[in-house]
Amino acid sequence: MRKGTFVRWGVPIAAAAVIGAAIGAGPVVAAVSGDPALPERSAQQLLADAVAAVERTDGPLPMSGTVRQTASLGLPALPQMGGESPLALLSGSHEVKVWYGAQDRLRVAMPTHMNETNLIVNGDEAWYWDSDGNTATKIKIKAGAGWAHEPATPAPTPSDLTPQAAAAKVLAKAEEHTAIGVTNTAEVAGRPAYQLVLRPKAEASLVQEVRLALDGETYVPLRVQVYAKGSAEPAFEVGFTQVTFTPPAEENFVFTPPAGAKVEEQTLGEVISDGKAGEHTGEHTGDAKAAKDLKVVGEGWSGVVVAPMPDLGSLPAEAPGGQGDPAEAKALLDNVLKSATPVSGTWGSGKLITTKLVTVLLTDDGRLLAGAVTPEEIVRVAGTR
Amino acid sequence: MSTAETRTRTTPGLVPVPETSRATERRPPEPPAGAVPPRRSSSAFWRLLGSELGLTFRRPRNLVMLGVLAGVPVVMGVALRLVAADAELGGIVTSVAGNSLMLTFASLSFLVVLLMPVAVAMVAGDAIAGEAGTGTLRYLLAAPAGRTRLLAVKYLNAVVFSFAVTAVVALSALVTGLIMFPVGPVTLLSGTTVPVAEGLLRILISVGYVGAGMAALAAVALALSTFTEVSIGAVAGTMVIVIVSQVLRAIPQFDGLADYLLPARWTGFDGALRSPIDTGAMAEGLLTFGAYIVLSGSVAWARFSGKDITS
Amino acid sequence: MTREAGAPFGAAPPSAGAAIVTRGLTKRFRGGQVAVDSLDLDVPRGSVYGFLGPNGSGKTTTIRMLLGLVAPTAGEHTLLGLPLAGALPRVGALVEGPAFYPYLSGEANLRRFDAADPTASGATVRRRVGEALDRVGLGAAAGKRYRNYSLGMRQRLAIAAALLGPRELLVLDEPTNGLDPQGTREVRALVKEIAADGTTVFVSSHLLAEVEQMCTHAAIMSTGRLVAQGTIASLSGGQVSRVRIETPDPAGAARVLAALGLADVRATDAEVTAELGGHAPERVNAALVGEGVAVRGLSVVRPSLEDVFVGLTGEGFDVDG
Ligand SMILES: Nc1ncnc2c1ncn2[C@@H]1O[C@H](COP(=O)(O)OP(=O)(O)O)[C@@H](O)[C@H]1O
Ligand SMILES: [Mg+2]
Repeated sequence: MRKGTFVRWGVPIAAAAVIGAAIGAGPVVAAVSGDPALPERSAQQLLADAVAAVERTDGPLPMSGTVRQTASLGLPALPQMGGESPLALLSGSHEVKVWYGAQDRLRVAMPTHMNETNLIVNGDEAWYWDSDGNTATKIKIKAGAGWAHEPATPAPTPSDLTPQAAAAKVLAKAEEHTAIGVTNTAEVAGRPAYQLVLRPKAEASLVQEVRLALDGETYVPLRVQVYAKGSAEPAFEVGFTQVTFTPPAEENFVFTPPAGAKVEEQTLGEVISDGKAGEHTGEHTGDAKAAKDLKVVGEGWSGVVVAPMPDLGSLPAEAPGGQGDPAEAKALLDNVLKSATPVSGTWGSGKLITTKLVTVLLTDDGRLLAGAVTPEEIVRVAGTR
Repeated sequence: MSTAETRTRTTPGLVPVPETSRATERRPPEPPAGAVPPRRSSSAFWRLLGSELGLTFRRPRNLVMLGVLAGVPVVMGVALRLVAADAELGGIVTSVAGNSLMLTFASLSFLVVLLMPVAVAMVAGDAIAGEAGTGTLRYLLAAPAGRTRLLAVKYLNAVVFSFAVTAVVALSALVTGLIMFPVGPVTLLSGTTVPVAEGLLRILISVGYVGAGMAALAAVALALSTFTEVSIGAVAGTMVIVIVSQVLRAIPQFDGLADYLLPARWTGFDGALRSPIDTGAMAEGLLTFGAYIVLSGSVAWARFSGKDITS
Repeated sequence: MTREAGAPFGAAPPSAGAAIVTRGLTKRFRGGQVAVDSLDLDVPRGSVYGFLGPNGSGKTTTIRMLLGLVAPTAGEHTLLGLPLAGALPRVGALVEGPAFYPYLSGEANLRRFDAADPTASGATVRRRVGEALDRVGLGAAAGKRYRNYSLGMRQRLAIAAALLGPRELLVLDEPTNGLDPQGTREVRALVKEIAADGTTVFVSSHLLAEVEQMCTHAAIMSTGRLVAQGTIASLSGGQVSRVRIETPDPAGAARVLAALGLADVRATDAEVTAELGGHAPERVNAALVGEGVAVRGLSVVRPSLEDVFVGLTGEGFDVDG
């Protein structure tokens, strides 16, 4: 070999090391330095500060950034899905851009390849733009209807309580089922953040812990991570990958339908159906009748929802939101059912579907049980009528 | 200096004699031993690059590829015009039919997936392996081209070709679009409308971005090219990497990886079609390209500078 | 600086030192095969140096090491007493046959290789390429694509490429390989002409006769090892000339030769040979005729390089590889 073989190959190795370091720099630096960039806070202090911050500034601060949502729920691989399908959010990662000016000035854009959907809210006027369909939908907002300012940050504003009291109350209730801790070394989107760690006390829960990161300066929630038991990577995560707390440019909130676009009109009530039931298992929310028959067995994290099984044949057609392609939903369902394992016990028999965070049992006697609990627990619940 | 023509040599103790050899008369003053005049080396570099570019852009195979790439936007334009005439279609068809500049973005979006990478891989994968295969590499190095210098010239040549490929597609699409579809303000993906001049500027940004993406692929192909004497091997290897990346990108389980895959980044040129321009994503894309260039380039160098040329 | 303004083929300004020196040069390929085994060559300036050896004896591998194409496993070498990068512009090379771009003309091919030489000037390339092509008799075919060249033309183009600049040293690896007798003669004449200008020529060959005809010096390789090197005369000097007499009376002739004091007398049916030693052939002839031995023919057989080779290795020189 030529002289200096090691020296020469040292160059690409060094290059790889530098690139690797640059990719992993954020977490690595944070982990290595480990300095608490922020003063210590107890959970109660932190919540109080957060509530106070929201109240002081009369709502969240103006900001803009990129939010990334990643789900690896352990579902069987899904067939090719369009970027906008709600079902697509169940796997892989998705990015939205958010510009937040004030309670009534908001733009959320979901960029996909050579395509973009936009929701632009400005005062009592809102537009939904879909470049693929070349359609602009004007949404009239009825007086009094509020807008969730940003998907990941439901900010409670209990104005009748002091922040400290509110925090104490929330914590007291939560600690019944949950161990709560705070770390002050997290970093999200390059900003130091507090992290509220919620660890379910129930043995049967599939959830290892839930981490909620709050910006160290503004207390705006920056990230939520849900960790399943026995897995080092979060099963579900939504948070900012980039964020700035400066008022976004005004032009973000102005929308004029481009020439040649289809323009439609809708009123708010039609657009936002009651989505309250929607967790990430939202597909299984049935119709009103099903909701009535719905009962919850168990408490807190180990609660199991028991419901009469919806008609599987008709379910896909009724996919919530009306946006998903029925064929897609059907394909998903078929896929999921294919991977289901048959179980039986004194209570009868059924099919068990397990994911990292959720276990679902379809009994042959027509019940549907779902919960963030272990298969053993759900089978046990199936036996208690 | 070409003044000293007939000289005499003096040797102490001997009578000076005019030298008689033919060669002597043409003998210029002696350069210092082993010196390659330093001022010359940069012009010599450009001369070699010029030779390389001449080879690349006169080679029939490469011209055919550029021709095919120029033809695709024309075909797309004609097809979209026919389709748009009789059907109400959404998405890209509508926007292309509605504005002459959109054909450029549509063409880039279509060709960046496979055809442009093939063209770039053909040139960059051939760079070293092709010369080794025909045996010309040994004569270039004996000339002496210098290994590092030759590699740098080969890569710059591939970079120029990468941008040429991108520019050919964009220009062909632009001309086709201007002929076939109405000229007017451009509607961006975000639904905002910008004037034609700004639309052209955004095309320029896209071309720069895609060109950089292709240059990153060229670095990968060049690195592979130093490992083989069969240029088809290097080209095929590069395309395997591209296709595997495309597949990985489509699998949700590997989603975290997508940010680091070239094909996933190439399509990021559509950041230029948003309002405001998605500078964050495009800058990340350029950083990714840079990382590929640095890593592949240094691998190519480490391999090539120590390789035994036995072909 | 206009080195190129000088003669295209004339000797370049001399740099100090021998044309080629190698010390312990060794190449072991990946498979473990030792292609060249501690080679010590000394090629004096101005010589036409024959690098002789059967196929597979390591000639090409040695030349690749000399030109920096292959890294030696051990040992070192200098060309023209200079570091390699400085020496190579003064060295013209033909390694293992011609290699060019088939879709380019002969002229464009030469321009291409000239562009790779950092010391060559683009300003004079046209003239130098023209002269090099004329030199090898390809002036008329300059614009023809290489793909359409005959084998002989290709070989000549490769030599033209080696003559693009003023060279102090030409390294030619089997330059007559694959040429017809006419082409072979032309190449030999060209080599002599170049050498006459003072350029050192290092020419490898597996043909003994070729080296004997063209060269002033030679080195003999056998399976990667240097068997002998020196001037042709000194190499042959190790073996003695023999006198060969054709005669109808071998017994009588043998007697006469023995009486004269010639050693190693061997007689067959129609001829007698013996070591000539210090005897003059005409005296031997006079003695035979004086003794009444009929002499039909008398010749002196000088030792060939083949004899040298056989003498040193104990093997025949396998001409066909
Ligand atoms: N790249 C290589 N890898 C392995 N062995 C090689 C290689 N090149 C040459 N050899 C071996 O080295 C020996 C010398 O080859 P070479 O130098 O080409 O001989 P010559 O030019 O005298 O015919 C041969 O036995 C050949 O097989
Ligand atoms: Mg050989």
